[in-house]
Amino acid sequence: METSRSCKSCKKKTLIRDELGTLVCESCGIEQQFDNFQSHFSGLDGPQGTFIRIGSSTNQGDFDNKQLKIYHATQKIEEVGTKLGLSSSTIADVKKMMEEITEGELGDGNWFNVFIGACCYVVMRKNRVSFSMAEIAAELGCELHELGRMVIRVINHLNLNNLPDFDIILSFERAIKNCKCFSRNVCKEKLDKMIKEGRLLLNCSVKWFLTTGRQPLPVVVAVLVFVGELNLVKVSIEEVAKELHAGVVTCKKRLVELKETLVKAAQALPWGKNVTVKNIVHNAPLVLRYMEMKSSCKAGEKKKICETGGFDLDEVVNECLKKDDFDIDNYITENYSSQCFEHESGNSASAASANFDNLDTGKISLEHSSNTYRKFSSGNYFVKPVNEGGEDYRNMAKNDVSLWMCNTALTGESDLSKKLFLKEILEKNVGFDNMPPSFVAGEQACKRRREKIIAAKQRIDEIMKPSSSVPSEQSLTLEKGSQDRKKRKRKANVVNVDWEDYIIETLLLHQVKEEEIEQGHYKRMIDLYVFDSEKTCNIFKRKKR
Amino acid sequence: MADQVLEGSQPVDLAKHPSGIVPTLQNIVSTVNLDCKLDLKAIALQARNAEYNPKRFAAVIMRIREPKTTALIFASGKMVCTGAKSEQQSKLAARKYARIIQKLGFPAKFKDFKIQNIVGSCDVKFPIRLEGLAYSHGAFSSYEPELFPGLIYRMKNPKIVLLIFVSGKIVLTGAKVRDETYTAFENIYPVLTEFRKTQQW
Repeated sequence: METSRSCKSCKKKTLIRDELGTLVCESCGIEQQFDNFQSHFSGLDGPQGTFIRIGSSTNQGDFDNKQLKIYHATQKIEEVGTKLGLSSSTIADVKKMMEEITEGELGDGNWFNVFIGACCYVVMRKNRVSFSMAEIAAELGCELHELGRMVIRVINHLNLNNLPDFDIILSFERAIKNCKCFSRNVCKEKLDKMIKEGRLLLNCSVKWFLTTGRQPLPVVVAVLVFVGELNLVKVSIEEVAKELHAGVVTCKKRLVELKETLVKAAQALPWGKNVTVKNIVHNAPLVLRYMEMKSSCKAGEKKKICETGGFDLDEVVNECLKKDDFDIDNYITENYSSQCFEHESGNSASAASANFDNLDTGKISLEHSSNTYRKFSSGNYFVKPVNEGGEDYRNMAKNDVSLWMCNTALTGESDLSKKLFLKEILEKNVGFDNMPPSFVAGEQACKRRREKIIAAKQRIDEIMKPSSSVPSEQSLTLEKGSQDRKKRKRKANVVNVDWEDYIIETLLLHQVKEEEIEQGHYKRMIDLYVFDSEKTCNIFKRKKR
Repeated sequence: MADQVLEGSQPVDLAKHPSGIVPTLQNIVSTVNLDCKLDLKAIALQARNAEYNPKRFAAVIMRIREPKTTALIFASGKMVCTGAKSEQQSKLAARKYARIIQKLGFPAKFKDFKIQNIVGSCDVKFPIRLEGLAYSHGAFSSYEPELFPGLIYRMKNPKIVLLIFVSGKIVLTGAKVRDETYTAFENIYPVLTEFRKTQQW
């Protein structure tokens, strides 16, 4: 085989390959410099030539392109796994899953990073380790939905239909333990208490539809912040949201929702009417305790412990749990009247006698009852009415020993403070049941539209069916005189009619079903019934007939 | 007329819709072949209701007001009509677009008109426990609240995709004829009632 090169000695272009593949000059016989020529590459039928190969300087143990790609891919998997804090066995699982999907080819490029992230997420979901997509996406520097699409593809490819749900409680526990805001200045005991409270709140949130169809992370952030407020840990929602890669606005919205729902739950308490979103944090210990007790309440159980000389809150709450229409005044009258009486008689017998309308029947006057309630309220900061707000309850809580005398703290022994399955959560009775906020909003919107439809029908009737009596000339002149006033009246009416009313009127005039209007798809209905000349013509033809 | 208007509600055919709920059609997508090559630039220059930006999208986007629809007209002569609220409207709109193209000097025909997708929606008026539904119908459903608030239910027969939301609102898509939408809803309704949330105390 001759080459285009010339001999280093005689300069003739008579170079050939001998049987061993060495380049020699045919004319002078000088052996030329080694040029890495391979006569048999990849077997006998393989190509001949001079090859440049990366990865080794010898023929044995060198990487070809595929092996090199796999090597780099494996490195990348390990790098991402370490970044996400996965154990070596989990990383091995991830690699195995990726090899299964790519049939051992793995991959390279930007998509491969997303693929690694998706497999990490799926493996961790399989192992019931809560790791959010947002966290992985942030670590990889890719978009959440890009990662999400890949996760769905991986799940579909592997037919992982029964993949465990994202565990919101584990996510909360992980967050509270790792979150810098909490790890800075919270002791272990307090942290355990906060975890118990958080679990209870999250279980209730699941039950109350606050998590269904919602991103779990903002709910976790909301519960974290609420639990923080409850335990006097100063945390900013923005900081926690940023750390957990959740949207701040959504987190704030979820926090408000959580508080509003707790306020609704607090209505079962005797002083529930005084509980608002503003003071729910101060009332929350009792609300949580109430829910805890209610969830583990069994019929026929009754505790009769009077810890202090005053009211036993356990008993009060227990009584309140048992009665639908619990009245704190009546309760105090029935159970604590003798104590009050003794107390009062010690001071002044006349005052005591004045307080009772009838000593024989043992009835207490309203005045006395309200006094008792006031005393009860003054001893317990969480019973304060709304109009007395503005005080620093946190500081009061620190100083007020009476708080600790009453058993208001969450025991954490109930099932609600543990990780529960959905079925178990749904079976629990926490004393309050909630409908999904989106459902409630939808119902309210329907109701509002229904009212608008009725009003629109009335307006149409007024115009289409004026009073049947024919007006006389005199009345006409009188009418003219009062025209200006009527115009003003009409103007006043017009102010209350908005664009939606006009649309509803138009739709009603185009014979659209009321049920359809109630759904509120105005654009669709206008396109379908109003801007349809054929239908409109038919309506007017019918009218002429 | 007032009486007619105010008493305009028609009863639902319970034989066809046992649930008593009829999904409303929200969007119809249809295609038609105009069977001639088109000069998109010329169309864009002549028609005032058209926009054409070849760098962004290789089709003329044309809109008409009645039926309020949008059409994508490709140089190959293929056309996609979207936004109609009924099958008839979609066909009427497609014919109107074809006529516009004819008036612009192209020998446009009206070949192979076909409804490609029907999107419908309805409200079952009760909340749905999506977690439970996803768990018991895992083979058909995908519920990832981290990505999308609704449960995606892929029904096999008829081949319809349903988006089910906690509020009780349902979106049905993928049908070629409206009856498929209705059948899919009647199939899913008993399943939804199983996971219906009721006020307990």
